Amino acid sequence: MVPYAAGGPVDLSARLIAPKLQSALGQPVVVENKPGAGGNIGADFVAKSEADGYTLVMGAIATHAINPALYKNLPYDPIRDFRHVALLVQVPNVLVVSNDLPARSVAELIALAKRQPGKLDFASGSTGSTGHLAGELFKQLTGTDMVHVPYKGSAPAVADLLAGRVALMFDNLASALPNIQAGKVRALAVTTLRRSTFLPDLPTLDESGLKGFDLTTWWGLMAPAKTPQAVVDRLAMEATKALADSDLQARWKAMGSEAPTVRTPAEFTAFVERERKLYADLVKRSGATAD
Amino acid sequence: MEIFHNLWIGFQVAVIPINVMYCFIGVILGTLIGVLPGIGPVATIAMLLPITFNLNPVAALIMLAGIYYGAQYGGSTTAILVNIPGESSSVVTCLDGYQMARQGRAGPALAIAALGSFFAGCVATLIIAVAAPPLAEVALKFGPSEYFSLMVFGLVAATVLAHGSLIKAIAMVLLGLLLGLVGTDVNSGVLRFTFGVPELSDGIGFVIVAMGMFGTAEIISNLELKDQREIFTSKVTHLYPTKQDLKDSWAAVLRGTALGSALGILPGGGALLASFGAYTLEKKVSKHPERFGKGAIEGVAGPESANNAGAQTSFIPMLTLGIPSNAVMALMIGALMIQGIAPGPQVMNEKPELFWGLIASMWVGNLMLVVLNLPMIGMWVKLLTVPYRYLYPSILVFMAIGVFSLSNNAFDVLIMAIFGMLGYVCVKLECEPAPMILGFILGPLMEENLRRAMLLSRGDPTVFFTKPISCGFMIASFILLVVVALPAIRAKREEVFVEE
Repeated sequence: MVPYAAGGPVDLSARLIAPKLQSALGQPVVVENKPGAGGNIGADFVAKSEADGYTLVMGAIATHAINPALYKNLPYDPIRDFRHVALLVQVPNVLVVSNDLPARSVAELIALAKRQPGKLDFASGSTGSTGHLAGELFKQLTGTDMVHVPYKGSAPAVADLLAGRVALMFDNLASALPNIQAGKVRALAVTTLRRSTFLPDLPTLDESGLKGFDLTTWWGLMAPAKTPQAVVDRLAMEATKALADSDLQARWKAMGSEAPTVRTPAEFTAFVERERKLYADLVKRSGATAD
Repeated sequence: MEIFHNLWIGFQVAVIPINVMYCFIGVILGTLIGVLPGIGPVATIAMLLPITFNLNPVAALIMLAGIYYGAQYGGSTTAILVNIPGESSSVVTCLDGYQMARQGRAGPALAIAALGSFFAGCVATLIIAVAAPPLAEVALKFGPSEYFSLMVFGLVAATVLAHGSLIKAIAMVLLGLLLGLVGTDVNSGVLRFTFGVPELSDGIGFVIVAMGMFGTAEIISNLELKDQREIFTSKVTHLYPTKQDLKDSWAAVLRGTALGSALGILPGGGALLASFGAYTLEKKVSKHPERFGKGAIEGVAGPESANNAGAQTSFIPMLTLGIPSNAVMALMIGALMIQGIAPGPQVMNEKPELFWGLIASMWVGNLMLVVLNLPMIGMWVKLLTVPYRYLYPSILVFMAIGVFSLSNNAFDVLIMAIFGMLGYVCVKLECEPAPMILGFILGPLMEENLRRAMLLSRGDPTVFFTKPISCGFMIASFILLVVVALPAIRAKREEVFVEE
């Protein structure tokens, strides 16, 4: 079950790994999309499905870390209602600025933002998205004031960034990469602790003086809470094996994903808990809500 | 000439048998899903994505593009035959196309839709080949304030020209605007009018509303007639357009193509306006505007050409900037990324065989569609001889399947049924659904762009007049309003949305 519309990155990775799991498990693996309410409808459907290991959901940073803080009446609990099977994808966000902006480094951007408080705009794909929250965290850590301009999806936001109508954006690495390489926008930093293998010369925000800045967009396989341990372990093992497959790794690379830092189901649960706390805090301070 | 050289490269790629085959598969599939109400290209392409992983990127893209524009052809078929628009672009085709079918002129309507689309497709393909990169720069000039002003113009043009039931038309536009508000507010993330129903938090789907208001409502009002339902085929005189038909529609095809090509380039919903705009334009320039809504062939030719031209030129922002203008383009970007190709400014230089091959294949595909569709007209028209008691349950079932497949949610089928009832009430009250659909499409886009423009200007409303493009649309809207407000001209005011 993919809680998002077909064709997005979460859907693509599900459709890529499904045939690998199918041959490993000797069972047909069908990808079904149930989009709506920021992924909550699909996630809730799986949370309340039969816990026999036959129904899995692509749980993502939105459904399992951000939405619990954003929506007041979430019908499921991201920790208690799920077994977290395997983290599949981690994609960094990258801080990109319009070519019209004079800032050439993070330090220059901070200085510029301090000189003109409330003048710079940062775009994002929606309120409560990683792009929005990364911007809020940036404002907090640097003590700057910038205006958040939300769009309906990141495509129109990128269009306005290319045209210079907004100053900057914390965009998903995969979608930002072609325009960075073509010199249409300038990348200043990645949002993860480690540098990206795709842009090894690009510093991290952590290196640029924003200590501890670490945001990654992630998603992975999750099962209903009552799924037996043996089933979870088997699925986790096959998923890890599939990830090691060179064909799949090449496809993953094309989406800008780094190798997951989390390996076992237990580590994954701990990871989700950590992320959930981080975003609960961030969402609260940003004042964002969806209710 | 570099363009000819490039097109030559393109055709060399496009006529490789394997690519021709994938193009053929694409357009056949596209036509099929276009004909089936509700099952759209988005769901189909999503299901086929895993297959494309193992194809070479050119073949994959050629097939997916074929599905997309094939569906544009197929969508008009159901709109004309049974008054069910499967895509936003075919809503307008329903207005006159279905009336033509009722008069036994389904054949000419289908033929002119196919021929107009073919012509528009050829021109748009040429436009992409000649001017894609500079046009992409034009598209970037459209920011929130420009989009807002463009949509104000669109709305003014449409509602102001409605006549007779002007109050009803305005009421329907307002109803559409209200329905468009349902869902998550883009700026604050607050849910509006969802009444705690999570399924409503993304708003009501356009396809669902259109199928309910047009399709379901049409079926209900047909059943009311018991056995008196008109037999469309008894009046069939000819399957193909007469000389008079061609004479009436060639100018409409040209105008539709021009308008569609221009609006299709805009990534932020410009293509949505293309068919509505073309219909309004045709009615405005026609010497006999009273024929519109009663089976005017120009009312089919213009919008059909516009939507096909728009469908082709919407590839421009995707191929040159990596910005998808609709869900189908987003899927294609996904398919390319999986292949390790990041759509963006470099595709044209780094992968000329992909870029030009795709463009040339569009022309090949359009040709196939005409060759494919013209002989099928006879078959489609025969379909109308099927007794309605067999026809309508199958239509309803296909509609329900199609709506369900949008997001695998039974809730959407329920919504369609509700809009079917609403549509029936509107038929009884003689309120036309088209203005409502326009309000429903434009309302959320207008609000979003207005608020974004205000956010970017820090609340300064003069941005709509200080930017030249935006100011131009504003002045045009104003002039149009004044023209219609003048009583002397009001006497000659034309109808746009009056169907009966």
